[in-house]
Amino acid sequence: MQYLLVHAVDEELAAAMSGDGTAQASGPSGGAAAPALAAWLDETVSRGVNLHGSRLCPISDATTVKVRRGELVVTDGPFAETKEQVADYDLLECSDLEEAVEWASRHPTAQIGAIEVRPLYGDEPPQGLPEPAPGRRRYLMLVCTDPDVERDEPGPITPVEPWVEEMGGRGVRRFGSRLDEPVRARTVRVRDGEALVTDGPFAETKEQIAGFDILDCADLDEAIEVAGKHPMARHGLLEVRPFWPFQKD
Amino acid sequence: MALSEGLSGPALAGVFRDEWGRIVAGLIHQFGDWDLAEDCAQEAFTLALQRWPVEGTPARPGAWLFTVARNRAIDRLRRSAKYQEKLKAVAATTMTETAEDGAGEEVVGSGGPDERLRLIFTCCHPALAMESRVALTLRTLAGLSTAEIARAFLVPEATMAKRLVRAKHKIQSAGIPYRVPPAGALGQRAAGVLAVLYLLFNEGYSASAGPDLVRRDLCDQAVRLTTVLVGLMPELPEAKGLLALMVFHGSRQAARVDGEGDLVRLEDQDRSLWDRAAVEEADRYLAEALQQGEVGPYQLQAAIASCHASAPTAEATDWQSIAWLYQQLADLTGSPVVELNRAVAVAMTDGPEEGLALVDGLTRTGALDGYYLLPAARADLLRRLRRSCEAAAAYREALALVRTEPERRFLAARLAEVDPPAR
Repeated sequence: MQYLLVHAVDEELAAAMSGDGTAQASGPSGGAAAPALAAWLDETVSRGVNLHGSRLCPISDATTVKVRRGELVVTDGPFAETKEQVADYDLLECSDLEEAVEWASRHPTAQIGAIEVRPLYGDEPPQGLPEPAPGRRRYLMLVCTDPDVERDEPGPITPVEPWVEEMGGRGVRRFGSRLDEPVRARTVRVRDGEALVTDGPFAETKEQIAGFDILDCADLDEAIEVAGKHPMARHGLLEVRPFWPFQKD
Repeated sequence: MALSEGLSGPALAGVFRDEWGRIVAGLIHQFGDWDLAEDCAQEAFTLALQRWPVEGTPARPGAWLFTVARNRAIDRLRRSAKYQEKLKAVAATTMTETAEDGAGEEVVGSGGPDERLRLIFTCCHPALAMESRVALTLRTLAGLSTAEIARAFLVPEATMAKRLVRAKHKIQSAGIPYRVPPAGALGQRAAGVLAVLYLLFNEGYSASAGPDLVRRDLCDQAVRLTTVLVGLMPELPEAKGLLALMVFHGSRQAARVDGEGDLVRLEDQDRSLWDRAAVEEADRYLAEALQQGEVGPYQLQAAIASCHASAPTAEATDWQSIAWLYQQLADLTGSPVVELNRAVAVAMTDGPEEGLALVDGLTRTGALDGYYLLPAARADLLRRLRRSCEAAAAYREALALVRTEPERRFLAARLAEVDPPAR
């Protein structure tokens, strides 16, 4: 089974803890937590548990896309205004949810923020994910529900398959999956050395993550166009977040 | 010190106004680095400030400034090993341009490509917060300093600086492209640019009673930037429509505030104070826009302003045309504020009863809850119908919602008329 680990942190808190006080250096991979993170990654990767993952750019670089009354609406910022925000993610291959929760509890993010563990829906085969082609940038697209819209526009949601096919054919969509219902999510926090595991997602907002896609696009305009064509643009929200840039030097 | 303030000579100030945006836009295009572009443009103007009074203004000031700024940028990149690769790329494009143009310095100020359109569209990208779009436009296109922008928007300088840094950071790291959008997206994106410029204008216009000149200057900046946009996109009638609308509003500037700083309503304004030359200019822009045969919200609003501008008195205003134009505008935008304005126009042609019926209908929809002009308009109609008690209640309701001082004083004066305080 595959599980998505969504690492959520309070960026300001993370920046303060990383010591240099900049939002850009936030997230568990910066500052004091770096060695702990490296150890966690070493272990999960060498055991074949960690299929893929990345740190993301801060929420000030997030863009949310939706379509309402046929109009594309683009806004600055994340899909929901919460104190803790998605900062990293990992995709794990585990035997069951308990194992995924166990790995999450050992990740350094759990000590300052929260890690939401969500089973992938259906069983897509794991894929290798090479670096984006030259001139392309990688984005994580969070597919989110918005219950208010679903009440507004009853009726079936357009199937996603044609979108998957089109964007895969264009070389834009590299990987993605729906996630199991938010009620089957577990959220892990470690406080004073003790793991606190709760049922449900990390944020108690009406909008919830329902799936994700990894997109390789020429620029943000292409990412916005691709997100705007996703069926959930009309029934929910799509947050587009650039991957943290890979430092060559 | 803000550079735009330091350029005291009228000639230099004019050059700054005309060339700053071009130079920054050209540098961003060549180097892809917003901070580098701003810094080097700043340095070029500082050098001009020292040299020009002594050596005389060069024949082509824009080309002089751009060459100096570009050389500074290349110098800086040379000193930074990290940018060696970028420098090679820049050198390659410069070589091509030199070959194409015959001379490398001909790029700006001699009919070379004007990169400001790319800059305008990037600054006004919908993935940036509205407040960032406005700030970035003022900084990079108009050349206002961070301190000036902060003062104009009544926020601390540190807050504005952070806003600008974040916006520029997002452009780089989220991959907002530096270009004019492709044809398919151009219409919607151009409308977004016009919205930023109109917001800028209104920010200054609504502050015209305030003490701070920087805020008032926003109107001039908005008009200047819209003029640039009209020049760069002559095929866009709505840009001309917006320019006409701004100039119509500006023509009434002297008449809309009295000696005490109180707002004077349109119908009470001294029309001899209206700037006739500005009205003619605005009418010209509007006529040009309408000739293109593609009506939009700004052209309709400008047409309404034109009806007011041509009326010798408030009574002689062509309210019927205005009511019709508001109907068109309401059909186009679905805006309840437009509906409210239509109700006021209908009251002028068909009588306050008719207007009141429309206002009450609008009140029932709840779309304008909390908007002080709704009870204020209602109060005015009730006053004209001599229903003083109800009018007083509506004025009180409006007073509870109004936020700016001159408007509050106006409403309080009207309330005292219909409900004189007991002696």
